[in-house]
Amino acid sequence: MRPSEPVFMNPDLTAMRIHDDYAPPILEMRGIVKRFPGLVALDGVDLSVRRGEIHALIGQNGAGKSTLMKILSGVYTPDEGDIRVEGLPVSIHYPREALRLGIGTVYQDLSLVPQLSVADNIYLGREPGNGFVIDQTAIRRSTQALFRRLEVRDIDGDERVGRLPLAQQQLVEIAKVLSHEPRILILDEPTAPLADEETAHLFRILRGLREQGIAIIFISHRFKEILQQCDRATILRNGRLVTTIDMQGVSEDELVELTIGERLETFFHHAEQMRANADVVLEVSHLSVRRAVRDVSFTVGRGEIVGITGLLGAGQNELARALFGIQDGVRGTIKRRGLVVRIRSPRQAVRLGIGLLTEHRKLEGLVPDMSVKENISLPSLAAFRRLTMFIHNGRERWAVRESMQQLNVKAASSKVKVSTLSGGNQQKVILGKWLLRDLDVLIFISPTQGIDVGAKAEIYAHLSELANQGKSIIVVSEDLLEILGISDRIFVMYNRRLTRIFQRGEVDEETLLSAVQGATL
Amino acid sequence: MANMAEAPERRPSLIPARADGWTALSTLSTVVVVIALFLFFGLTSERFFLPQNLLNILKQMSIVGILGIGMTVVILVGGIDLSVGSVVLLSSAVTALLLDSYDVAPVPAIGAGLVIGALVGLVNGVLVEVAGISPVIATLGTLIAVRGLGQILIENTYIWVTDPLFVDIASDTIAFLPIMAVIMLVLYVVFAIVLKQTVFGRYVYAIGGNPIAARLSGVPLLRVKILAYVLSGLLAAVAGMLTAATVGVVGPNAGAGMEFNAIAAVVLGGARLSGGVGRVEKTLLGTAIFTMVLNYLTLSGVTAIWQQTVTGFLVLGAVLLERFVQRGK
Repeated sequence: MRPSEPVFMNPDLTAMRIHDDYAPPILEMRGIVKRFPGLVALDGVDLSVRRGEIHALIGQNGAGKSTLMKILSGVYTPDEGDIRVEGLPVSIHYPREALRLGIGTVYQDLSLVPQLSVADNIYLGREPGNGFVIDQTAIRRSTQALFRRLEVRDIDGDERVGRLPLAQQQLVEIAKVLSHEPRILILDEPTAPLADEETAHLFRILRGLREQGIAIIFISHRFKEILQQCDRATILRNGRLVTTIDMQGVSEDELVELTIGERLETFFHHAEQMRANADVVLEVSHLSVRRAVRDVSFTVGRGEIVGITGLLGAGQNELARALFGIQDGVRGTIKRRGLVVRIRSPRQAVRLGIGLLTEHRKLEGLVPDMSVKENISLPSLAAFRRLTMFIHNGRERWAVRESMQQLNVKAASSKVKVSTLSGGNQQKVILGKWLLRDLDVLIFISPTQGIDVGAKAEIYAHLSELANQGKSIIVVSEDLLEILGISDRIFVMYNRRLTRIFQRGEVDEETLLSAVQGATL
Repeated sequence: MANMAEAPERRPSLIPARADGWTALSTLSTVVVVIALFLFFGLTSERFFLPQNLLNILKQMSIVGILGIGMTVVILVGGIDLSVGSVVLLSSAVTALLLDSYDVAPVPAIGAGLVIGALVGLVNGVLVEVAGISPVIATLGTLIAVRGLGQILIENTYIWVTDPLFVDIASDTIAFLPIMAVIMLVLYVVFAIVLKQTVFGRYVYAIGGNPIAARLSGVPLLRVKILAYVLSGLLAAVAGMLTAATVGVVGPNAGAGMEFNAIAAVVLGGARLSGGVGRVEKTLLGTAIFTMVLNYLTLSGVTAIWQQTVTGFLVLGAVLLERFVQRGK
């Protein structure tokens, strides 16, 4: 199998270009419905993309963008709805079928093998040669041709991918997808990790591809670049289609309003008055994390909810992980109640009264084969000991039952495996773990991601109540409404720095959104 | 209401979900298998039900069974211990030498053997958990090195173990049960309680089930995992004492290959080799199956080479069956 020279398009299609409103859509998705256990991820969404346009797909986290794209690339099959490519109905069950239909996807998490060379990565799985010996010359030649078309000059095809900076790795990933000669190219938040000049370069490349008639679907949270670079945009909210609009004459404010939609304040039962934060419980000064956080200083008061937000990769997750001792390359000082502490492991963090909940419930929060009871009591077992090594079953059961009732965990009994619970109840189990341990600083990373609405409201109510009880809470989230709704103070991170601090009520969605995107005052 | 859709797709779970109630069903079915095999062997062999043979089976079970306890604990935390057969040699060599050449009293001599076993376990634990060597490689290394040490100690010859205490251990019975079997059963009861009722036991399951979640919950991973290896070494040394007692002599090949018998018993008991799922009670059942099959083959006049082949396929069959049953769920 010899890869043909990469041709990105059928030459005779160049003639029929481009921003023409009457051009037939190359892709049409109609009435797409996708359900997951406990939630409807997509509820009758339409998407129509034309040949030779850059089409932005906009929506908050959880709006359904990624689900829609995964349906298009064959990762998921829709429960309802139909898909047409160049007017012909298609069904896409596997990623391979999507590629064959000319749909190529550049995923957010790059799918490259760091140990292999650039060229080997691009042709991985379809190496040219006689089926036994790989034709290295052919690989190298095709890679060079590919890069020439992308106007990429500074990447050596023989270099190991792991040694390239992230921006270049992304170009390799794009080259890899383009080598399949897609008619439709999907990019999932490609600019999130890129610096400004790298982003500019990426868009130069995308414009070149647009000229060649390729339809580009572009997912991003950065409204500025969408306004500048995209031709049209489709906006999703809570799994539903809001609208598809032409970018011409649209202002950033309009885009923001369409994205955020109605307010959801009914969710948030926060205390009327600003909670007193006289006693400083946690003080962070000049904290840096290698390649992720630069020189961040702040304090957290007793009974305060601090919301930290920012774009993907702005450093907020690493900051939270540093406070729990699970982040490498941390410098700076952390003080608990005025004393300098070193937090190098979760064990130390827990001993210092700090707990962490992440959005990766199954991966980081729970032991799926153990029961609800065993999961809840895991951090607190030392408190239920008798004769130094035995677990006091009665006290454990009693405490767990108490905590399950308090948090309204819905489970048949405390003995069922935690993996049988719904996402919201699993999150409550993790919360229960830390409440039982009686910690006073709780860090939440995307606490309500993937949780249904009801459980979400309950979790917000618990956060509020915990703060009223005097616990200090740090919530890291990209969901601006959530941050606005629950935080006493809002920290905004941009490009690894803590750039803005707002008090409650001092900021609205629009201001916060532009702060998140790097606006200074 | 934002945020609700994306998590299920974010990262697929790396931990396969296991159908609820699977463990209970499987315990029951393992018991059924043990009883069925017992009856079948008894009815098809004239000598299987003879009291002397049943006592033999119990004695044979006790050594594999005790190794199986330690192996279960190590496998539960997501590791494996290949060095136990060599620990059988080294610990019994130390004890035999102390008795034979240094006239040490039997109890301190046995104590020294047990300490040596625990030390080898400590080395294994440190190699795996501190130095970060994969458990298979680390304990394969100690398997070879420790056997070498044992052979150096006994100068590659045979040392007789004639102490009356050892003779008693090998031959006496308590209410029809051989002392060896009593020792094994006591250890099983102790470890069943340890795994079910102690903080250590709970941590063992948590670490094997999801090490990341366990660490983030403040579980002392390092300590628990190293202790698992130490216990395995210690129990291997106990098996070493019993081996010396039954054979009456410590030779260069004492305990050779026993690690595989122990792993076979754990696997037949249905433990998950990646950790987090398994129980010592079931390892005991696995040991019973393994030993009864070997015994039956011997009674039927099957040669040792063929016995090995049959037991190998038996283990593979059991694993395939478990896969099959699980997929059916």
